[in-house]
Amino acid sequence: MARPHPSRGHGRRGRLSLRGSIAARLAIGYGLLVAAAMAALSAIVYFGTVGVFERSIDNKILALQTRLAASSLDDGRGALVREIEAQLHDSVDSDTEILGLADAGGRLLAGNLAAWGGVPPLDDAGAGRLASASMARAGAPVSVRLAAVRLGDGSRLLVGRDLAELDAIRGVVERALLLSAAVSILLAFFGAQLFRARLEARIGAIRRTTARIAAGELSSRIGVHGEDEFARLGEDINRMLDRIEALMDGVRHVSNSIAHDLRTPLGRVRNRLDRALQAAVDPEALVADARLAIEDIDGLISLFDKLLQIAALEAGGRAGSMAPLDLAAIARDMTELYEVAAEEQGMTLAYDGAPATQVQGDRDLLANALASLIDNAIKYGRSGGRIDVGVRLQDGAAVLAVRDYGPGVPAVDMDKLTRRFYRVDHSRNLPGNGLGLAIVAAIVQLHGGTLALRDAGPGFEAAIRLPAER
Amino acid sequence: MPNCLVIEDDAETRDYVCDGLRAAGYVVVAEANSRDGARRLLEAHWDVVVLDRMLPGQADGIGVLEQLRARGDDTPVLILSALNSVDERVRGLRAGSDDYLSKPFVMSELLARVENLCRRAAWSRDVSLLQVADMQLDLRAMRVTRHGHPIALQPREFRLLEYLMRHEGQIVTRTMLLEGVWEYHFDPQTNVIDVQISRLRGKIDKDFSPPLIHTVRGAGYVLSAAPADGQAAP
Repeated sequence: MARPHPSRGHGRRGRLSLRGSIAARLAIGYGLLVAAAMAALSAIVYFGTVGVFERSIDNKILALQTRLAASSLDDGRGALVREIEAQLHDSVDSDTEILGLADAGGRLLAGNLAAWGGVPPLDDAGAGRLASASMARAGAPVSVRLAAVRLGDGSRLLVGRDLAELDAIRGVVERALLLSAAVSILLAFFGAQLFRARLEARIGAIRRTTARIAAGELSSRIGVHGEDEFARLGEDINRMLDRIEALMDGVRHVSNSIAHDLRTPLGRVRNRLDRALQAAVDPEALVADARLAIEDIDGLISLFDKLLQIAALEAGGRAGSMAPLDLAAIARDMTELYEVAAEEQGMTLAYDGAPATQVQGDRDLLANALASLIDNAIKYGRSGGRIDVGVRLQDGAAVLAVRDYGPGVPAVDMDKLTRRFYRVDHSRNLPGNGLGLAIVAAIVQLHGGTLALRDAGPGFEAAIRLPAER
Repeated sequence: MPNCLVIEDDAETRDYVCDGLRAAGYVVVAEANSRDGARRLLEAHWDVVVLDRMLPGQADGIGVLEQLRARGDDTPVLILSALNSVDERVRGLRAGSDDYLSKPFVMSELLARVENLCRRAAWSRDVSLLQVADMQLDLRAMRVTRHGHPIALQPREFRLLEYLMRHEGQIVTRTMLLEGVWEYHFDPQTNVIDVQISRLRGKIDKDFSPPLIHTVRGAGYVLSAAPADGQAAP
């Protein structure tokens, strides 16, 4: 694998060397494995054919030697000579058999040897010993297998075999094995090239897409064909890209919204100060304008505080302040806190639910979330005249719901409500910055709960679902 | 004149805090790191200390505070911090701080809290009867009268009035009220506290003179027999 080199920059890094290509390495490694398997197989084949043959020849030689030595012992030298001649003329392996009998002086008595002197020196003391040698036969040197033994009467008996046939077989087997080794190495090499071409084609498609994305074309996606590993990798990368694009959109949306949300109050502050300067002769007006300007700036500071709060909540560093608490008590406290504010708007706000429900949580954050929900209900559900707050146990979860009876929220807006700065069209003229539900969602997420927003027909319901404490 | 020690490394914030406190009549000494701050704490008695949470030096703000409390010194301490999270607040309070304010903050909130700390001694005194002008609040009988006439209050309104009377003549912010009366610490989104005050005002000020609860623009409320400087009409 080529190490990424900083100076090479992004994208085009050229064709990888054979060593650098993982495909080539995989294929060559696989080829070597095949070659090793072939070698093992060849060894088995070789020793299974040539080896067996060799042992069979040795056995035959020894058997014949034993038989001839026995006949000499029983019937004397004359019988042995007759036996040797019969053996050489029985037309069974006669052309490969080598037999010779010489007296103590080295004079040939029988057999098909040209001269005893041509026989390689043999340790004739040991019956059953075999030796490989080379000797001239019919004018040509051939490899032979020999066994010599000294008989009781001092004469020497030589039994052997011409190995021309075995050499031929050995040659055939060895050639076949060499050929197959060469073919398997070639196959491994060309297989590596093929592998590499296939892999590079698949990876190349992914790399081209990532290069396009690196160049700024964020909507580019990898073409996914089939269901293999690369298709899955492509799908995973595409999913990641979708997520990144959504986050980028979110960031863009937030920064646009911040810019937009800051422009209006900053413009207002500027105008106030401008007016204050013009009317500087009137100290009272100056003070009043300065105060209003400070109020506007305070609003901006609180907007930033909220953004920072959401960021801190989303970073999730608050798990330390979680403690068992009574969600219903918080709901009753917040209901009581907002009762008067609701009454001012001609609405009734009432708690109706379980007397006590234990959950694990941060008391201030949960109160903050509930306060936001009630605040929204008062602001947007005013025409309904009534708000219900309740805590209930449902399937092992504590559900804190705030429901108003106002105009509700159009279905198209429902999913976007928890986005930072998102505001439903018909509510834009009401005070607010579109951060309330984003904070609620972040608080609920931190608690490992879910926030369900639905049209309650009539009205709107926000339900926070938290795991109940046992 | 109360003296106040400010330990804050950021020059701009330090000047802002010092200027604000001096304008409000405090004698202010400022230090920029924990070592000098700790030395100052040993040198003199302070009525209140404003301490930055993050400080350069061997110990941060929490470390300085812990050393102070370890000596058994209970000088009121307000922690200032850029770490705007309840968790940090809990840690600060656990280390022995008396109050906690996160940056950025408005001067009125800081002044209200510093003043509250300076008067803490009065707050903790065990009393059963609070009186401001012609208004009396009997903590034992849970009874409020103005000019001798009994005024019927809800329990929470009673606690709200009690808090205001205990901080008589002192500005209390909306966040301080939410903390002191409802015992929740978060930034109330809308006018929910204003509505509670206006309801209380309707009961204690509407039919009597002089009005006792005054609105301080951009800061909060003050309960006193006479409106102080810089206060807007109710």
